[in-house]
Amino acid sequence: MQNLKNQAISSILETKNEQELEELRIEYLGRRGQVTKLIKKIPSLSPEQRKDKGNLINETKKIIEEAIISQKKNLQHQNGGGKENWFDITIPGEKPAKGHLHLITNAIEEISDIFKRIGFHSISYPEVEWDWYAFEGLNMPENHPARDEWETFFVENLKHPKYGQAVLTPHTSSGQLREMQRLGKPPIRMLDIAKCYRRQIDTSHAPMFYQFEGLVIDQGVNITHLKGTLDFFVKQYFGPQRKVRIRPFHFQFTEPSFEVDISCIVCGGRGCKVCKQGWMELGGAGMVHPTVLKNGGLDPKKYTGFAFGWGVERVLMMKYKIDDIRLLFSSDLRFLKQF
Amino acid sequence: MNILILDSWLKEYLQTKATPKQIGEYLSLCSQSVEKITKIKNDWLYEIEITTNRPDCLSVYGIARELAVILPRFAIPTKLKPLAISQQIKTTDKKGLPLEVKIKNPSLCPRFTAIIFDKVVIKPSPKVVQERLEKSGIRAINNVVDISNYLMLELGQPMHTFDYDKIKKAKMILRESAGGEKITTLDDQIRPLSDGTIIIEDGEGRIIDLCGIMGGKNSEVDEKTKRVLLFIQTYDPVRIRQACQKLAFRTDAASRFEKGVDPEGVLIAMEKAIEMFEKNAEAEVASQLIDIYSNPPQEKRVKLDINLVNKIMGVEIKQKEIINILESLGFVIKTDGGSSVTVTVPHWRQGDIDIPEDLIEEIARIYGYHRLPVKLPPLAIIPQNKTDLSKWKTKTKTALKFWGFTETVNYSMLSESLLNDVEIKPEDCLRIANPLSDEWVFLRPSLIPSLLQVAGLNKKEKIKIFELANVYLFQSENQLPEESLMLTGLITGESFAKVKGVIEAILEELGIKEVEIKPYQLQKTFYGKIFHPSCRAEITPKNNTLGIFGQIKRNLALKFGLEEKVFVFDLDFTQISKEANEIKKYKAIPKYPPIIEDLSFVISEKTYVGEIIKAIKTTSQIIQSVELIDSFENSRTFRITYQNAKKTLTDKEAEKIREKIINNLNNKLQAKLKQKD
Repeated sequence: MQNLKNQAISSILETKNEQELEELRIEYLGRRGQVTKLIKKIPSLSPEQRKDKGNLINETKKIIEEAIISQKKNLQHQNGGGKENWFDITIPGEKPAKGHLHLITNAIEEISDIFKRIGFHSISYPEVEWDWYAFEGLNMPENHPARDEWETFFVENLKHPKYGQAVLTPHTSSGQLREMQRLGKPPIRMLDIAKCYRRQIDTSHAPMFYQFEGLVIDQGVNITHLKGTLDFFVKQYFGPQRKVRIRPFHFQFTEPSFEVDISCIVCGGRGCKVCKQGWMELGGAGMVHPTVLKNGGLDPKKYTGFAFGWGVERVLMMKYKIDDIRLLFSSDLRFLKQF
Repeated sequence: MNILILDSWLKEYLQTKATPKQIGEYLSLCSQSVEKITKIKNDWLYEIEITTNRPDCLSVYGIARELAVILPRFAIPTKLKPLAISQQIKTTDKKGLPLEVKIKNPSLCPRFTAIIFDKVVIKPSPKVVQERLEKSGIRAINNVVDISNYLMLELGQPMHTFDYDKIKKAKMILRESAGGEKITTLDDQIRPLSDGTIIIEDGEGRIIDLCGIMGGKNSEVDEKTKRVLLFIQTYDPVRIRQACQKLAFRTDAASRFEKGVDPEGVLIAMEKAIEMFEKNAEAEVASQLIDIYSNPPQEKRVKLDINLVNKIMGVEIKQKEIINILESLGFVIKTDGGSSVTVTVPHWRQGDIDIPEDLIEEIARIYGYHRLPVKLPPLAIIPQNKTDLSKWKTKTKTALKFWGFTETVNYSMLSESLLNDVEIKPEDCLRIANPLSDEWVFLRPSLIPSLLQVAGLNKKEKIKIFELANVYLFQSENQLPEESLMLTGLITGESFAKVKGVIEAILEELGIKEVEIKPYQLQKTFYGKIFHPSCRAEITPKNNTLGIFGQIKRNLALKFGLEEKVFVFDLDFTQISKEANEIKKYKAIPKYPPIIEDLSFVISEKTYVGEIIKAIKTTSQIIQSVELIDSFENSRTFRITYQNAKKTLTDKEAEKIREKIINNLNNKLQAKLKQKD
């Protein structure tokens, strides 16, 4: 019986067309086929044999039937092209539901991911913050003209006896002091991405925006490390052909202070309407001011550090060439669904 | 502050072969940023952004002084032509015209100088003066006024001219304004003065000058003026700044005074001005020089450790080069032996050099940041708490995206009218003291109003949106508000079950089990007010509320123009992230076949199907799952899977459990098995 089965299956597998297969079907399962003959014999067997052998024969029949069906499919596939096999693969696919993440979310993910690779730890700090963290502790006493750069929103009826009035954080730099206080001692390698607020609105300013702030403090941290970090980020985010430069600038909470430029993504650095003599401003950076280290509870004789902080929208607008920041917060689904 | 500098004017003080392009590039790299270079006829105009710490650069001469240091470092020979300064200011031999000056508080005005000219001929300035002013963005007026503007641009020292004959009794009292005084300024504006503003009154008590900001109309030089009082001062920067802020008015002069003007530069400007008065206005000096300078600043010295320079710059720079750089910038160096030097700060840098780091910035920028190598910071080990918030955020947002939701980002501030629409009392919200517009006044205590607004704006489409953001809740006057991270979604045109399914799927994805979703009962809360009373539920694992969801009341939805059913979920994501986990448990795949059967029950009115499912499920551990597969009128059909992990279940065993289920439901929930036909 086993032989019969094996022989049948191997012959079936060797068939090259449906006609050969049909011949085999008749040979085994036809009215006078080999298996059919055996089935016909079952009633004449003794009751004990009937059960065992009967099962075996039926099972053999089933296996051969299946083999024939399967081979038939294979042959149809191989030959293909028959009219009954024609199928229109150009019909439109039915897509699963798909929504859209906000551009800013994508940018934040991308930015944190880049900094994560060089060991930065993501964290966020209060959006409503005391004056001390936003200004005073960052070496900007009350009435300092440098405060003018930050058009600050104040929150009514909130005042701390020591830390002053509550403001909406005009920059993520307030997170520098928070992080120093949280860790108590270096090494520090923070990336703080958060919402910030300033009293201004035009195509490149919205009253709410996101900033990311990097802070690295340890023994022996110097300007070359800042340059390396910025270079790593720019090449990862904007592409390897981008050039970065730092040039003198002024912030009260860093000394020296820099502004970071990248070569223009429109003209490639030759100079055009969009850029400033071939360069685009990315944001501010600098070596943490000794007074700020002291205010954060660290010894400026022992530790040095650098910090940088830029607008998330600014980099993504540069990357996607979006010309009005307000679009990002308009919640116009026709815009949001493009990304 | 941006200034405009003409190339030809610059070259009057700078001998160099540098091209405008080179000047722009190298000045940006080592000092102040040149934002634009424009060709004007046969000249070039630089637009330069001057940082607040460098008021010494707010002039043609100041920029020339920087370039004279920078350009040679790029191998372009350059020389600064010095300002011709004679030590003696030319005054009249006679006793001259009188001016009585009284300064109430010397700290208001560190240096006060004045001189009077007679026989002044008012006429247009020489062409070159007019042209330079116009190209630099200042309108030429007449020879006298132009002198003050010209020298402000050239030397950075603002000055003012009065008609001497309009100063009553030839007397000036410089004092703080008090008690709500007013002045009419040159631009014909009446300006109310807040207390503490620096002003000058004349011998008849008339206010004739809003010091450092703008002169008074009543003492203005006009075409009939014969005698001019020239006035060159420095003022307390803080006072000027406060006055400008309170007046909401700032002039070019004020922008300079509030950043600090070098008192040592005053006489240089005076000498230049006298020269120009004589030349351009045929004027004669007709008084002695008045110079009230009671408290000249001390010479400033800063000690610098050479090792610190290298430590911060990250490269080795020789002491000789450090000294060269500092000296080229006008610093005077005394070596103390060893690695320490004492640096004396030039008078024009008194305001911004205080600590060694300030000097390091000078050294590093002139050495050139572009010459420093690029390195990554040392990767020290930093112990961190395992905070997974950002991971849960990403996971949830991504899931929602693939379930068809679009993420929105809305302003954290809301308008009063929006709060009223959703029946939130404005007085319960944090309010911005100086809002930018009525649209953004209150910090939002919920994301729901924003999402309703977004839905209203986009109502042409079927809406499925969410936002993940902080809300701000007042705690007490000396505490920062609670910033609570919320995940809020809004869906139109779907069923309650679909919305509930989204919430269940989120919780499942975040590994939050044993969640109970039960009717939300409170009426008077915010949620009570906005949600349909019979179609809202609260999500409570253990005893925490993770959030609320439900259908927005129809009259509220209509306020936003939303005709369809609007569902909203509002989840406390801070809480969710605390409960979330990624732990998955392995359970052996069952070896024995299950028995699956469908049972239909007729239920009594107002029976929650959730309770029936719970009752069935808790009947026996053998019951693996209970699904509601059909619901028609008061009939509910459940598919029940019985399975024993240890052996094949017999029909008899299943039957026993079935009977128990039927009895249970009958007794506890008055649900009766529907007999099969």
